[in-house]
Amino acid sequence: MAVVDVDLPEPVAEPSAASGEPRAGGVGRGVALMVVGIAVIWVTLDVLIDVSALIRVPVVLAGFAVFYVGLDQLLKRLVGPRVETDLWLSLFWVGLVVFLAIIADLLPLREAQDASKTFTEPILARPDLFSAHPLGTDSFGLDLLGGVIYGARLSLQISFGAVTIGLLVGGLIGVCAGYFRGKLDGAVGILTDSALAFPPLILLIALMVALEPTVPNLVVALALLGIPTYIRLGRANTLALAQREFVTAARSMGAKSGRIVLRELVPNVALPLLSYAFIIVAVLIVAEGSLSFLGLSIPRPKPTWGNMINAGSEDFDKHPHLVFVPAGVMFLTVFALNRIGDKARKIWDPREAKV
Amino acid sequence: MRTVLLKLLRLIPVLLLVSFGTFLLLELVPGDPAIAVLGPDAPTEEYERVREELGLNDPLLQRYASWLGDVVTGDLGNSIARPATTVASLIMARLPVTLEIALIAIVMALVIAIPLGMFSAYRAGSRFDRAASGVTSALISIPPFVSALLLIFLFVFNQDIPRYGWLIATMAGALWIAVHTARLLAAKELEGRELLWQILGFVVVAGVGLFVFFRWPDFPRQGFSRLTDDAGVFENLRTAFLPALTIALTEIAVFARLLRSDMMSTLQEDFILSARAKGMPGRRILVRDALRPSSFSLITLAGVALGRLIGGTVIVETIFNLPGMGRLIVQDGVVAKDFTVVQGAVLVIAVIYVVLNSLVDLSYAALDPRIRRGRG
Repeated sequence: MAVVDVDLPEPVAEPSAASGEPRAGGVGRGVALMVVGIAVIWVTLDVLIDVSALIRVPVVLAGFAVFYVGLDQLLKRLVGPRVETDLWLSLFWVGLVVFLAIIADLLPLREAQDASKTFTEPILARPDLFSAHPLGTDSFGLDLLGGVIYGARLSLQISFGAVTIGLLVGGLIGVCAGYFRGKLDGAVGILTDSALAFPPLILLIALMVALEPTVPNLVVALALLGIPTYIRLGRANTLALAQREFVTAARSMGAKSGRIVLRELVPNVALPLLSYAFIIVAVLIVAEGSLSFLGLSIPRPKPTWGNMINAGSEDFDKHPHLVFVPAGVMFLTVFALNRIGDKARKIWDPREAKV
Repeated sequence: MRTVLLKLLRLIPVLLLVSFGTFLLLELVPGDPAIAVLGPDAPTEEYERVREELGLNDPLLQRYASWLGDVVTGDLGNSIARPATTVASLIMARLPVTLEIALIAIVMALVIAIPLGMFSAYRAGSRFDRAASGVTSALISIPPFVSALLLIFLFVFNQDIPRYGWLIATMAGALWIAVHTARLLAAKELEGRELLWQILGFVVVAGVGLFVFFRWPDFPRQGFSRLTDDAGVFENLRTAFLPALTIALTEIAVFARLLRSDMMSTLQEDFILSARAKGMPGRRILVRDALRPSSFSLITLAGVALGRLIGGTVIVETIFNLPGMGRLIVQDGVVAKDFTVVQGAVLVIAVIYVVLNSLVDLSYAALDPRIRRGRG
């Protein structure tokens, strides 16, 4: 079942959106292509294990592409021509990562954190899907699959936490600025302008030098990074709403400002703001990864995607899997979140929907 | 004119806040700068003397005011770490490197993104468009440290892959031109001058392909040769290529997407329809008629990107070991606890960014006559 872990095709072969036109080929052809794709992947990963990775990697990618085309045809036939296969795969991947991160402690993973327990494990094992270390081991014999899953746990905790705080604080400030206008709006506008004038990564670096690299501190630092963006989004969305009849109606019935903001505006702004959350989570995952990569986030031995990549980059000319396994997982997650975020914005953000 | 003045007025509080933020940020950093100067084993009164000398005992606002007064006159202070140099001179040594990398990256990105975005818009919904859109979403999702390592893996450790990939691609391109020409010749659809152009295209593609293949440069894993070094321009470009390409990869995607959406709305306009009705060929409409009105937001985005990149190249500078602003902040500033360096550098970056953004904002209105009114 380990194949499932990497079940997303490389995006090179991915069309972006449903083109609308019904595809030729039926259920049989779709299934056949999927089987061929999986067979190619299985043969390259299991049987041809000794062939150079420079040949195996492109072949595996081609296998995924074939699998993807097959799945696409199958779904178009079964569900309808407008089905967005890549969106469903993205949802599947994000769901899988979140699920594995939640149940990580229950999984029969090999040791991924404590190098004192891995004396008997092979070091620098190459990825071999059907061995005890499906994604290989590093120079301490630590399991990369375990590292990637525990890393997902940290990355997701940090970025989801930061987005939640940023959304609540920034969104509320933005709604207030957009509703009350006047001096408050001006002051908030200048503050956000100044905050956005700092290069984000440099701001983060400076913050993390001042703060201990713990999960709560990272959450706060990354939340600070996102708050100005949320203020702007909240304000822009409120401006359009504040002129609408239901706000006037509420006011004429004697509702106080606080009630209008919380009961009338916030529920209407929440969904468009939430639709940006996916993309901001993706940005924050990259930001946290960058910090980790610079050694300013959660330190080793606790694995994060960024610090795994950093640790692997030392001699990755000989052992490229140390870099490309965590990097690949990170890339797929960011890609999937971006894809979902684009779709969410199309559905929920009225400004986007009009365009 | 009023809007211009208002925009400039708005700059002042923003710049003040930015400078105060920079000042405050480093107040949070733990660790005593006096220890950074003297080392951990000096006598207590020595620490006191250094603190006094650095003005660390004054109240916060007073220190900020005196710092700001110096900054306005171009004095960013001296670096704390020895040997003491002026921060301004450190920055002047580093800024050109970052600026060069950012500029090369933006030019590279524009060169690739403009044709990509143009043809995606022209053939919207086609296989090419969907492939391009897939590639750009992928490029946007690659974190910069991953793409840097990937490029190092390909261009430094396995340089035969990009080298032969280049050869195959250019030869295929040349072959395609040849076949195309032959087909047109057979159908007698080629006039003398057009035939010349086709042959010229073939020669250029094949020639450049072969030339680059045989003179494939060794890209260094790390290091940078300045433009003013004795090694010259080629050496400079050779060391700047991979860092710039790393940055360009993301920008390509951003630029191409923007141009595609702008171009698609331009192509809906009446003047395009009238050009088509006159029988203009599609290529000519795209380049002569549609590109200019579609490129305004692209130009502004490129301007904003330049400002952003001056502070956004930390990762690339770290991986490729470039002596730029990002490494100045991280290595010489944050790691060495030299807070005057960090302050100065962050301030310079933020000011460049804010000013550049305002200029871009203003030039937007100047460039595009359609939005001169109604804005402001």
